[in-house]
Amino acid sequence: MRWIKLHEPVKVPVLKNVIFALKLVWEADKRLLIGYFVTEISNKVLSMYVQNILFLKVLLSIIDGDADFKTYFTYLLLFFGIYFTVNAISAYATRQRLVATKVVLKNVNNKIFKKATELDVSCYENPEFYDKYQRATLVLSSSYYDLICWDVAAVVGGIIALICVITTVTVINPMYLLFLLPVTLVFAIELLKSKAVYKRDLQMTKNNRIKAYIQRTMFLKEFSKDMRTSNIFAVLTKRFKAAIDANVLILKSYGVKLFIYSMVSSLFSDFIPIIGTYAFAGYQFIFTQSLSISGFSVVLASINSVRDSTLSIAEGFDEMTQMALFFQNLRDFFDYEPKITDGGKDAKEFQSIEFKNVSFTYPDTTKEILKNVSFKITKGETIAIVGVNGAGKSTLVKLLLRFYDANDGEILYNGINVKEYNVQSLRNAFATVFQDYKNFAVSVNENIMCHECSDEEKQIAEKALRQSGVWDKIASLPKGADTVLTREFEIDGAGLSGGENQKVSAARLFAREFEIAILDEPSSALDPIAEYKMYENLIDVTRDKTVIYISHRLSSAVLSDRIYVLGNGTILESGSHAELMAQGGEYSKMFTLQASSYKGESEVSENV
Amino acid sequence: MFKKKEKEKTLHSMPSNIFFFVKLLFSVSPLLVLGEFLWGLLMILPNNLIKVIGVKYIIDVVTEGKDLERIFGAVAVIAVVLIVSTSISWLFREFFWNVEREKVYFGLNKKLYDKARSLDLESYDNPEFYNNFILTIESSSASIQNLLGLVRMYVGHIISLIAVASVLFTIDPWCLVIILVVICVFLPISKRVGELMMERRIDNAKFHRRADYFQRVFYLQDYAKEVRMNNISPLLMDRYNDAADDVINNQKKYWNKISFLNCLQTVGVQGLGFLFILPLYLGYCVLVKETLTPGDFVATFNGAHAVAMSFQFLTVWALARFSEQGKMIDKYREFLKADFKIKNGGKTAPKTEPKEITIKNLSFTYPNNEKPTLEDINLTIKPYEKIALVGYNGAGKTTLTNLLLRLYDATTGEILIDGENIKDVTADSHRDRFAAVFQDFQIFSCSLGENVALDVNPDEERVWDALKHSGFNKKLEKGIDSELLREFDDDGVMLSGGEAQKTAIARAFYKDCPYVILDEPSANLDPVAEYNLNQAMIEAAEHKTVIFISHRLSTTVNADRIYVMENGRIIESGSHAELMELGGTYAYMFNLQAEKYKE
Repeated sequence: MRWIKLHEPVKVPVLKNVIFALKLVWEADKRLLIGYFVTEISNKVLSMYVQNILFLKVLLSIIDGDADFKTYFTYLLLFFGIYFTVNAISAYATRQRLVATKVVLKNVNNKIFKKATELDVSCYENPEFYDKYQRATLVLSSSYYDLICWDVAAVVGGIIALICVITTVTVINPMYLLFLLPVTLVFAIELLKSKAVYKRDLQMTKNNRIKAYIQRTMFLKEFSKDMRTSNIFAVLTKRFKAAIDANVLILKSYGVKLFIYSMVSSLFSDFIPIIGTYAFAGYQFIFTQSLSISGFSVVLASINSVRDSTLSIAEGFDEMTQMALFFQNLRDFFDYEPKITDGGKDAKEFQSIEFKNVSFTYPDTTKEILKNVSFKITKGETIAIVGVNGAGKSTLVKLLLRFYDANDGEILYNGINVKEYNVQSLRNAFATVFQDYKNFAVSVNENIMCHECSDEEKQIAEKALRQSGVWDKIASLPKGADTVLTREFEIDGAGLSGGENQKVSAARLFAREFEIAILDEPSSALDPIAEYKMYENLIDVTRDKTVIYISHRLSSAVLSDRIYVLGNGTILESGSHAELMAQGGEYSKMFTLQASSYKGESEVSENV
Repeated sequence: MFKKKEKEKTLHSMPSNIFFFVKLLFSVSPLLVLGEFLWGLLMILPNNLIKVIGVKYIIDVVTEGKDLERIFGAVAVIAVVLIVSTSISWLFREFFWNVEREKVYFGLNKKLYDKARSLDLESYDNPEFYNNFILTIESSSASIQNLLGLVRMYVGHIISLIAVASVLFTIDPWCLVIILVVICVFLPISKRVGELMMERRIDNAKFHRRADYFQRVFYLQDYAKEVRMNNISPLLMDRYNDAADDVINNQKKYWNKISFLNCLQTVGVQGLGFLFILPLYLGYCVLVKETLTPGDFVATFNGAHAVAMSFQFLTVWALARFSEQGKMIDKYREFLKADFKIKNGGKTAPKTEPKEITIKNLSFTYPNNEKPTLEDINLTIKPYEKIALVGYNGAGKTTLTNLLLRLYDATTGEILIDGENIKDVTADSHRDRFAAVFQDFQIFSCSLGENVALDVNPDEERVWDALKHSGFNKKLEKGIDSELLREFDDDGVMLSGGEAQKTAIARAFYKDCPYVILDEPSANLDPVAEYNLNQAMIEAAEHKTVIFISHRLSTTVNADRIYVMENGRIIESGSHAELMELGGTYAYMFNLQAEKYKE
């Protein structure tokens, strides 16, 4: 079924985008477009013209003219020969095209992947860009690239068939065109109708999204407990009913309009040509007392052909117009110039990082997340960045890793602005464990080493897994560390728990060479003992390294050389734990608060 | 040469499934079903009859040179038939069909949702059932449309086939014989093509799933940071290309066969049958034997086409689709029939002041697991007590609360509230006594008020009160009517992790009930918010029994009683002071966390 996802109507140049699409597909694999042209043109001409009309015309004129059976037989053989040849070619072209479509998919995807890795992280966090990007990828995931080739070929094939049919009818008797040509008006009516349907469906988009959302909440496991222990089901059912009712109203309001369009369309495609042809044949018979049976039958048969080819041209055009938007998005995506530009320098061995009066506001927002932040970290230091939720801790890291560039001020790596370095070489200096860590559906070893592993590297991976405290679990898997993570598509894949996944993710850090480690809430999914062990190992591994901890658990800050307390985008305090406690400011307040529940009790344990 | 494909078994036969479906639809909207049948009839029959009978009639009248009135009479009849059938079709389609389909969607899905809600939670742990379940719900709307269209076409084609075939039969029985023989000879090829297509789809889905995963990694934002910090993209791209090559090879493997067979079939039926043998016979009759008129020639020629289309549709195409959809219906039926393990007791649980909760010799093993998750749990919770459950990941804490809520039933042992087994009351009334905030709580795409109340018509004052207690202080323009999430409202409010958690906690404050369960309530909160929450909880839950699970032992200090769990057992219990004195696991864990706060 042909169906296109609806979005807000945006006007984009259709022709330009169709050409872009065809070029993209042509460069990826020529067979797709050629295959479609061969099959569409031969099918349309064969089924709508040769088989339906020409064949009948030739045979009937022989019978009409009382030719002998032998001539008749010869013609039959000839037609069969044509039919066989065209079908064989078409079958071959179909086979080529169906293989080519997957080759195009692969090649264009590779292009997109390449571009996607160059994309700034900010693109992903910008809802507008991300939405456009997701729509651009629909070109592949919904096979629009294939559909548009089909459409173009179908339009061309339809036009050729139409010309053939009309020529034939004109030769028989031009008067018949009077009833046949109105059929082509269907083209305009169908476009109008599809515009109305598009508008109608657009009005229903929100309701349909509600319907889809409700459906998801009904079957996804994460909603299942709330669904059973509360009455949220009633809320959702009410919303569901409301969405349906709203849709019904919209559908009803379009009923009359669509009915009229459809009737007018039928008027031109069925009533006028069929009744007209019959009536004209009758009229001819009265006045000339003669009627060419072959002419009459052929004209009757051609009504269907004209209607079908007109409809397919209209449909093709309509679809191209709608798809243009998606190709426009893809074009924009390919044209995007990363804002994070590469400097030429290689990041050498780490000496220091310095933030100088750095201010930052996320694009398209007004709130300043970081205000005039300055500090310096030198080799071998252990730094903790603490602060309440939303204080700007993670943003600091994003700037340091050049996921974003600061609006004001500069960040220096070894005294040189980070913008002057090659982005990848700069990032390579850091090993990171993120709060929202992700593992991939490749083997455990590959998850850690990030490429296919030699036996030697597997040893390194094993050591790292031991250090992060998950080796026992991994070793118990059917294929050990060669087991693929997630059961996404591998039946014997491993489904790990949240804590285990976080440990695997952390093992990535243990396995690699790095200058600086950035640990952004690395233990959020771990129980106290696992957390404690993880920290022990982290301290062990990072003994001579530079470490930046980010946490709202102040306990992890105690051992660091220096603590930065962030609040409202500025550094409120800095210093060692002892200094900050002595200072009696924000940090000591927070620490005392957290410690209060542990305090007093420790005496009990000491007494034991 | 063809490998035997494994037959997927269905529980019910295809006719039984189709009958079930039509009956089901009929119960939701009888008019739609009848309308569909009529529409199917009107769509196919008039056109085919005109092409056969109308044409023959006119040509015969002309060749025989009979009177004019009959020609115009015939034209008039054709005109009336066309106009009436088309108008009725469009009337049905544009005014009735669209609207009714929406209502049917509601009716059928409502049945599914009601069932889904009453399903045992255990069903979600059974991958086979769960996959079926998702498939059923996800595809229900598409299936309805497909099947309805299929049934409609089926009815239309059957009637058209009978009508056209009988006309052809009266003209010359041999024509009909030729048509049917040709079709039947090539039928096995069509069937084989159908099977191959099915196999291809299954294989393709397998390879595509792999390719699609790697595609997603590049498309989605979730992986963006990780991909940039680790040089893993070459590996992922390699994997994608491997999977894409598998897809391409699979495509080659099947289409080589399928396009050959397709070509053979088309050339055989259409080319050899209808463009050669049939016209040869017809020509012979017209030219040599002179038993048929030119009108017969055209009528038979057109009719052959119509019969072939209908026959092909009924035997191959529709059957393949029906068997595919039949599987869908099978799953739908299976789902609606799925049995519950959690049986409702006869009584309704009273919503009273907190009473004593007793857990006796409770053991529990998850289905398909060998190792029990809970073993021989015994504990008594007095009214108004604040109970803390602590322990390692996987110790069974969350499972215990699941059993308390009767999301699962214990394998052995029992849970009593005020001396009454919780199995003796209805599951809904039992659960209604609890307010639960889960570790993996969800924010729903509803208004803030509905999210706190988790019910229709939230009480504004109480919602604000609950939010105040949970420390939620975000200012929202539309107050409690503000829609949360941007699922379908572009102006929806996005909450931060901490705000979302506070909203979830507010649910426990809002719900008027004697027992509260909080699973890791402070995981997303910063220290200040966590401290405030603890204070609020003590204050607001004064008149309730509270059971909470926490990793942060600082929150357990004030609990009346702490249960330490390990490997499904309770290994220690007592107040904080008692446990610290005991010097066991709890004391060890507490000191681990506390030592960093010691000066």
